[in-house]
Amino acid sequence: MIAQRFPELVRELQRVVGHDGVLAAQSELVVYECDGYVIDKNSPDVVVFPRTTEHVAQIVRLCNEHDVPFLPRGAGTSLAGGCLPVGGGVMIVLTRMKEILEIHLHDRYAVVQPGVVNIHLTQKLKGSGYHYAPDPSSQGACTIGGNFATNSGGPHTLKYGVTVNHVLGVEAVLADGSVVQFGGPAEDYPGLDLPGVLVGSEGTLAIATRLWVRLTRDPQGYRTLLAVFDSVDDATNAISEVIAAGIVPAALEMMDQGILVALEEAFHFGFPLDAEAILLIEVDGLEAGLDAQRDEIIELCQRSGAREVRRAETAAERQKLWKARKQAFGAVGRLSPSYCTQDGVVPRTKLPHMLRRIAEIGSRHDVRVVNVFHAGDGNLHPILLFDERDQAQVRRVLEASEEILDECIACGGSVTGEHGIGVEKLDFMPRLFAAEDLAAMDRLRIAFNPDGRLSPHKMLPTAGACSIEQSSPQRRAAL
Amino acid sequence: MMELAARLPLRDTIAPAQQGELVVAVQRAFAEETPVYPIGGGTSLDFGLPAADEGIALQLSGLDRVIDYPARDMTITVEAGMTMTRLAETLAAEGQRLPVDVPDPDRATLGGVIATNTSGPRRYGQGTMRDYVIGISAVDGRGVLFKGGGRVVKNVAGYDFCKLLTGSLGTLGIISQVTLKVRPVPRASRLLATPVNGWNEGRQRLEALASGAARPVAIEWLIGPAWSDDPALVSAAEGTCGRLVVGLEGTVDEVDWMEQELNRHWDELGAAAWSTIVDDAAPALWRRLTDFPANPDAPLVVKANVAPSYTTSYLQRLQIIDPDCSVQAHAGSGIIVCRFSPTPPAQGYEQIFPLGLVPEATMGQGSVVVLGGRVTRELPPPAIWGKPTTAWKWMTRVKQQFDPKNLLNRGRFVYEH
Repeated sequence: MIAQRFPELVRELQRVVGHDGVLAAQSELVVYECDGYVIDKNSPDVVVFPRTTEHVAQIVRLCNEHDVPFLPRGAGTSLAGGCLPVGGGVMIVLTRMKEILEIHLHDRYAVVQPGVVNIHLTQKLKGSGYHYAPDPSSQGACTIGGNFATNSGGPHTLKYGVTVNHVLGVEAVLADGSVVQFGGPAEDYPGLDLPGVLVGSEGTLAIATRLWVRLTRDPQGYRTLLAVFDSVDDATNAISEVIAAGIVPAALEMMDQGILVALEEAFHFGFPLDAEAILLIEVDGLEAGLDAQRDEIIELCQRSGAREVRRAETAAERQKLWKARKQAFGAVGRLSPSYCTQDGVVPRTKLPHMLRRIAEIGSRHDVRVVNVFHAGDGNLHPILLFDERDQAQVRRVLEASEEILDECIACGGSVTGEHGIGVEKLDFMPRLFAAEDLAAMDRLRIAFNPDGRLSPHKMLPTAGACSIEQSSPQRRAAL
Repeated sequence: MMELAARLPLRDTIAPAQQGELVVAVQRAFAEETPVYPIGGGTSLDFGLPAADEGIALQLSGLDRVIDYPARDMTITVEAGMTMTRLAETLAAEGQRLPVDVPDPDRATLGGVIATNTSGPRRYGQGTMRDYVIGISAVDGRGVLFKGGGRVVKNVAGYDFCKLLTGSLGTLGIISQVTLKVRPVPRASRLLATPVNGWNEGRQRLEALASGAARPVAIEWLIGPAWSDDPALVSAAEGTCGRLVVGLEGTVDEVDWMEQELNRHWDELGAAAWSTIVDDAAPALWRRLTDFPANPDAPLVVKANVAPSYTTSYLQRLQIIDPDCSVQAHAGSGIIVCRFSPTPPAQGYEQIFPLGLVPEATMGQGSVVVLGGRVTRELPPPAIWGKPTTAWKWMTRVKQQFDPKNLLNRGRFVYEH
């Protein structure tokens, strides 16, 4: 325990942020032993809550002086172990830096601290005609700093892009404790696009302390549809037809029968329980174009064999449909005590093949799999159901997950569309990338984080810090 | 190649026909410590600091194959030496496009466009190259081929080399192959123009456009002799501060509605109605709006980036510095391109940077860079990329990792030398 090995460090951290800003007792630290990825756990040795950029810089300098690893954390909703403190060390929790500092509507940007909860920014903007576009399903809890670290997506990325498309600039504390601003409120600053590089670097290159984020005009209107299909193939075919028609929906989400049953039990939305798949399709934009797009989508769905296409006629009905989608993960609790969500991506046209393979892999490993995912992007979220108390089940889930992700790679896709590599998918990096690619990534890490103390053992198989022994060896990289 | 040799200190030009040959050429340069100048269409050789050290040119236009075009996935993988015209033709055959505007597309190559982060009017509504590159391969300064991203539209595996290389001016790696996300061609497109009388009016009109119900894909503010007699704009009145031109794209219904809405809005503001650029003239005007920054005859072309609401102030300052300059502002994005007039400014080109262009850009929370022009080579180096920031130190560290012998476009970018 660092608290015992480095009592001086704990005292110094307390001097920086005050006694109420430092946790070092095991009973308090256990809360921070994992994020949404629960298969590996390890407590940090100290948790510290800075309130200012200068606090973060001082904390980082102290960690360097004591040769202790450190990592940032937001709300801990990430799903790949991105804020798992491998090897322990100091966890810098940014949730007390939660101010929305500036809003400039005409210039379409806001300046926020990293601990601002995603939905708080959009709530603050309500009525202004603007919103913050990235909307991960966890947006009620996750922070914009965490979104920055993982390049979060959400259902509306199909049209609006992911976090990196909405970050203009970042003030960051780097691994040596220096404070630097990359980018800012304007576009096209001279030099390298380092904001673009830091987004999605999973906290391994820098700790964001202030963010300039793009605000997006609210669409004038929406048309939200629910298309019900008797076969998964018909549903995925409809997706291809819509895209091929030159329509870019704001969102195009798919839910299969397994998830529908769970949702229906939990919330009684009135979904048909015998449907094999439903598509939640939303187009947005100018009112002038929406009815025509809606009608075209309805026709394409019907031509692809949709049994029924329902329309959300009111804002309340639309909200209900989105509530169903965003609460899908919560409803999974009704199906099993534990679940593991994968995040593979395949080219859209490979979806029918991939969904068949997922079903087949699940049944071969005797693991129940349900699906709710961003179909328009080809971003799958197979949910593998299990009981984490049963080691045999855990093993089967890991094996099935691995096969699913290998199949995504074989289809020309990726093992993660929005959740990140974290520790969970480390072993997949050499399958996705050649040794030269990984070496290049390592060089980028060395440019920012030469000693490897900032969030070690993440993202890259080689990204270890050598100075600290892992206090609780785990099955890191098992998936 | 005469022209190339006049613009870069070259001892040799190598034109690889395969990625493997490119790798071998850079490996040899690394062993011999020879500087390497990657060349696409040669359309942006004046962009950046002048090259000082003799080296070899790597001419990439032989790498121009389509590797994979699964049109229904709306992605395409091509070699980086492909010209933008050929790319556009390939995509158009499937009703798709890359909505980034590029001057001189018959010569400009995709790799060069990514390396220079070229953009144009549609950036307001459609974004820039960083929003479309989803996979990239490049050869680093040691001659090692590396890649990042992939071929799917959503992917967060590994560090984002697509962003790292976009706008890196070929200084970290020579881009050899690219996967792009593409978009459907909109069914309708229209250009409208309105006069601007006075700076205050311009400022107000921009605010009205930014917050209005119509959603233009481009908001351009055009001032100066280059635009006064534009053949497509002659029927549209010009004000004392030029004209605003907006681009509308979407379905026919959407474009019709936006045009009506803009006229309704302008009527409400008591402003003159919008003039619609006739369909025959519109493609040529889009082309001129795209090509404006690339004019080879201007003595000096600069690009400022400021917070969009500062655009008007910056334009005012440009008029004071050179009352006869021609300006194109991508006003919704705060990007301002200025072509200076043939008459040199009274205080000399060198002095207009510290005395006007730079402090004004700083006021607008941005910066100013030189895009090209005859006098570029006479300017002191600090004028070219603007005021260094602490971020440049970290860019230099990245450069050292990817090109340890500083061979790729040596001396031409922002790094600390």
